[in-house]
Amino acid sequence: MAGHARSAGRPEPRGGRVVPVYALTGGRTRATDGPDMPVESIVTVTEAGVYASDLQLEYRLAVELAATPVSVIEIAASLGIPVGVARVLVSDLVNAKYLVVHLPPESTTADGGPPPEILERLLDGLRAR
Amino acid sequence: MHAEIDSLIPLKVLVAGGFGVGKTTLVRSLSEIPPLLTEQEMTSASIGVDDAGLVPDKTTTTVAMDFGRITVDDSLILYLFGTPGQARFWFMWDELARGSVGAVVLVDLRRVDDSFPAIDYFENRRLPFVVAVNRFPGSDEYSPDAVQDALALPDDCPVVWMDARDAGSSRDTLITLVEHALARTAVTT
Repeated sequence: MAGHARSAGRPEPRGGRVVPVYALTGGRTRATDGPDMPVESIVTVTEAGVYASDLQLEYRLAVELAATPVSVIEIAASLGIPVGVARVLVSDLVNAKYLVVHLPPESTTADGGPPPEILERLLDGLRAR
Repeated sequence: MHAEIDSLIPLKVLVAGGFGVGKTTLVRSLSEIPPLLTEQEMTSASIGVDDAGLVPDKTTTTVAMDFGRITVDDSLILYLFGTPGQARFWFMWDELARGSVGAVVLVDLRRVDDSFPAIDYFENRRLPFVVAVNRFPGSDEYSPDAVQDALALPDDCPVVWMDARDAGSSRDTLITLVEHALARTAVTT
């Protein structure tokens, strides 16, 4: 099932990539430093990122996507790369100060979920839709 | 439309259930972006046999996962993850479940067995979840109590009847989940 869905949903590789995307990240699928970044973490571009030049293709595309708030998993899907690779790209760009990361809220509850005040806001927002 | 950049807060909800029960449909009904498919790495410890044999010393392969997004207000963005229903993908749920609001377990009453792995998983991890009976022919013949019994649900677990194709119905299901999660924080803190 997974294999079938994967081939059906996979976007065409852009830019005629001839080396595996893992080569871009030196085989890393985990960020080596900085906070552990859940897949829903959102990034936005910084002013330095807007003017960044000579970035490699995938890095440049990730910076362009972050012109509006975008999550790690959306970057992965848009670029057609695995989530772990997207996480490393994003982490590198955050370290280079081209992107700012917005992490999920710290939990204050026993369940490990978002704090009640955030849930209240979520509820208000959903009800208003 | 755009969120305030200084105070963006990502949240997530899992949509679980057996194969073909309507997870992708529900995500599609709610999402403001076209449902996207992405790949998530799997490591060998978590899977049995897979096709990672071509890569020496590297037993990583990938699995497809679909997701959607709702911009809730000027800073909250909610992501919905349709998670593969089979127990062999549990390792993937661990990462997704961590820090999540909770889960919607979609159930087709003609195939309730398919929903047991998801229900067991969320119960064991003490993650708030609601059981959403997707309306298939015949599903109205059962009462919430009957479903509660058949699935051996905890007493406080909400059971709703819904139509995953309908945006309003899907949104109401999410609201039920968030209300339940909120009630749980009042109990557990």
